[in-house]
Amino acid sequence: MLLRNVFLKTLRDERRSLLWWAVGIAVLAGYTLVFYPFMRDNSDLTKLMQSLPPALRSIYGQADFSTGSGYLGSALFNLMVPLLFLVYGITQGASAIAGEEDRRTLDLLLANPVSRSHVVLAKFAALCAALVGLGVVLWLTLWLGGTLVQLNVPVGNLAAATLSGVLLGGAAAALALAVGAATGNRGISLGIAATVALAGYLVRTLAASIPALADWQKLSPFYYYNNHQPLINGLSLGNAAVFLVAAALCVAAAVALFTRRDLAV
Amino acid sequence: MAAVIEAHGLTKNYGRRRGVSDLTLLVPAGEVFGFLGPNGAGKTTTIRTLLGFLRPTSGRAALFGSDVSGHSAALHRRIGYLPGELALYEKMTGRDLLTYFAHLRGSHDLTYATTIAERLGADLSRPIRTLSKGNKQKIGLIQAFMQRPDLLILDEPTSGLDPLVQQEFYRLVADAKAAGQTVFLSSHILSEVDHVADRVGIIRAGRLIVVEAIHTLKSKTVRRLDIQLAAAVPESAFAGMPGVRDLHVTDANVRCTVEGPLDGLIKALAAHTVITLTSHEPDLEEVFLAYYTGEPDHAAA
Repeated sequence: MLLRNVFLKTLRDERRSLLWWAVGIAVLAGYTLVFYPFMRDNSDLTKLMQSLPPALRSIYGQADFSTGSGYLGSALFNLMVPLLFLVYGITQGASAIAGEEDRRTLDLLLANPVSRSHVVLAKFAALCAALVGLGVVLWLTLWLGGTLVQLNVPVGNLAAATLSGVLLGGAAAALALAVGAATGNRGISLGIAATVALAGYLVRTLAASIPALADWQKLSPFYYYNNHQPLINGLSLGNAAVFLVAAALCVAAAVALFTRRDLAV
Repeated sequence: MAAVIEAHGLTKNYGRRRGVSDLTLLVPAGEVFGFLGPNGAGKTTTIRTLLGFLRPTSGRAALFGSDVSGHSAALHRRIGYLPGELALYEKMTGRDLLTYFAHLRGSHDLTYATTIAERLGADLSRPIRTLSKGNKQKIGLIQAFMQRPDLLILDEPTSGLDPLVQQEFYRLVADAKAAGQTVFLSSHILSEVDHVADRVGIIRAGRLIVVEAIHTLKSKTVRRLDIQLAAAVPESAFAGMPGVRDLHVTDANVRCTVEGPLDGLIKALAAHTVITLTSHEPDLEEVFLAYYTGEPDHAAA
């Protein structure tokens, strides 16, 4: 029964949207895999990619299309996967409290015997469950599809790379949630979280060719997303911990700020 | 009797918008309390402060003896609330919304909700976005009443309801009172609460000006009357009667303002053939004025 509590009801509200996201992610992953055999067998393309200047190569990731991990890294995990998880996480995080306040339904919800902190936690938990669900769809598609095209990337590494995307999206969602819960303004929340994500991406990408940014990139979420190269090396517990701690701090701030302020009419 | 609602010097200021100043109020258990005031007077601010959605600037408020700025979630189990600016989950059906809120209140039982829905003529099967304003209001009322809460806080409950449904709403309030529930309802129209309320508080510009038993207030109420007689009468026929003011008699038409009981005027009219008699409901400003002219001591306060 999906109307039992705030957590399940939040997932229920998202069920159609989630279905389309899952279909979209599976199609994108499948579509990317279909081209892998052509890329692998075309060594000229790999040479071309490797002749690009470092700044351009960093945009395409390792740009080694002769291995499954190199290809997936460039074609999927360098930009598309983080983009999808960030977009889903940030839009849902911003809507969690601020969206309900914008639509003026928050009064009615909180008139029930549920505390504000419960609403924040239940909505964030639902968001995390949705992100993990989308991650599982991506992982399963890559695993099953990968065996068909002889991708030769260990299933554990596929899981590690997908989980990195989920963690990146989850941390950004927590930031959007915190800003939305503190201000009640969905626009500000979207703006701040998207700016942080974009700035982080630029710093991480440009650091490859601008040595002055080498230290600054450690402030970028993207550094912790891919510095360990999870498709090749598996999961970095340290990186995962950075995302988990950042998310926990944001959620704690969301609860603290939301329980102390006036609700908009 | 124990006070269900208790406010002492409750003040809420925000920015440029008018809030509530120094509101002190006691509503005992089992009472139906009408909270009257023009739009923007601070009714909604008061109500949302009582529910813990707004933090008081100063003063304190308690429901069932517990301070509202503490853990209001536990208090809310005993309260049914209808917001003044009602917004529902538009994509859900009425039944889904009621099921959800019943679960949040730890119940699966929609029997009473269904009974109220039938009484109000609410359609629970359609998505809420397809309902008219009045039909949405019915869903809002059902969710407030359905768990038979000890306290009902209803902000402008009759807005958007057609007259027949309003009558059924008054019966719901009467049933709640009979069952010992306390009801706090706001309105900007006196006649909307005077059927059901035991006492009325009037708030203007953020200040609670008067709290009166409804029959006391009504005895001070001013009505404008427009009477058409069959034949011309001299003005002297009604002049100097107690409570009658602003008397204008033109041929067979009599217009005047009456404060308090209509009895004297009606008996004087009975000597003539009355074609029509129209009574204009007083607006709140007139009630205030009557109150002040009647009791100069309060006006000075």
